[in-house]
Amino acid sequence: MSEREPTRDELLAMAYADGELAPAERAGFEARLALEPELAREVSELRRLELLARHAAPPEPMDHEWGRLARSAGQRGLRGAGALFLGAALLGLAAWALACLEFSHASWVPKVLVPLAILGSLLLVGAAVRARARTLRYDPYRDVKR
Amino acid sequence: MILTTTECVPGREIRETLGLVRGSTVRAAHAGTDVQAWLKNLVGGEIEEYTKLLAEAREQALDRLTAEARARGADAVVGLHFSSCEIATGAAEFLVYGTAVKLVPRSS
Repeated sequence: MSEREPTRDELLAMAYADGELAPAERAGFEARLALEPELAREVSELRRLELLARHAAPPEPMDHEWGRLARSAGQRGLRGAGALFLGAALLGLAAWALACLEFSHASWVPKVLVPLAILGSLLLVGAAVRARARTLRYDPYRDVKR
Repeated sequence: MILTTTECVPGREIRETLGLVRGSTVRAAHAGTDVQAWLKNLVGGEIEEYTKLLAEAREQALDRLTAEARARGADAVVGLHFSSCEIATGAAEFLVYGTAVKLVPRSS
């Protein structure tokens, strides 16, 4: 256990996570959260702890087995290889479709629109992944088991 | 904050009803989870990925309800109800609602 006294910001974050701030203080703190990622991470961590305490019930034997399986190299290898092959096949299919279109006698309309649709889809997926990656560390709910 | 599905809290009486409070969220499993869940459909058993998805949604909805009740100055939320539905494939909406109240010790 740390001997260090909590800083004012840490105390504020605890009070905010526990819903103990007055409305004016809460509004001011929320404005800071939008600007200070480190503070937002602190609040997220406190909420994660609260969730953990709420789920302090002993895990069922099946949960232990799921956890053991998820950590095992064999299971991870199987899943990783499956995802890799599936991803490679999907990318390959998209490339093959583009190549077929390129050498076909189709008019210029599908030749422009199909690559545009593929590019658009990839950009949208990229934007969604980027948004999730940015917010993932502030999401205290992603490890809730039961 | 007391959260209860009953209409009253033992040993306390309701001094003031502050109104309906609710918390809801729609959470989605990622595509990889859907693939795993589909594969588990073949062999049976618990689809842990979806259990986890609903548990996450339930806790987030509960926290939002609690935040709203706190903002109204409530001591408790009574008559709590949970409801969930599938809003799209692989995405679940979880709604929790109840009545925010102020409590006082029961006068004997």
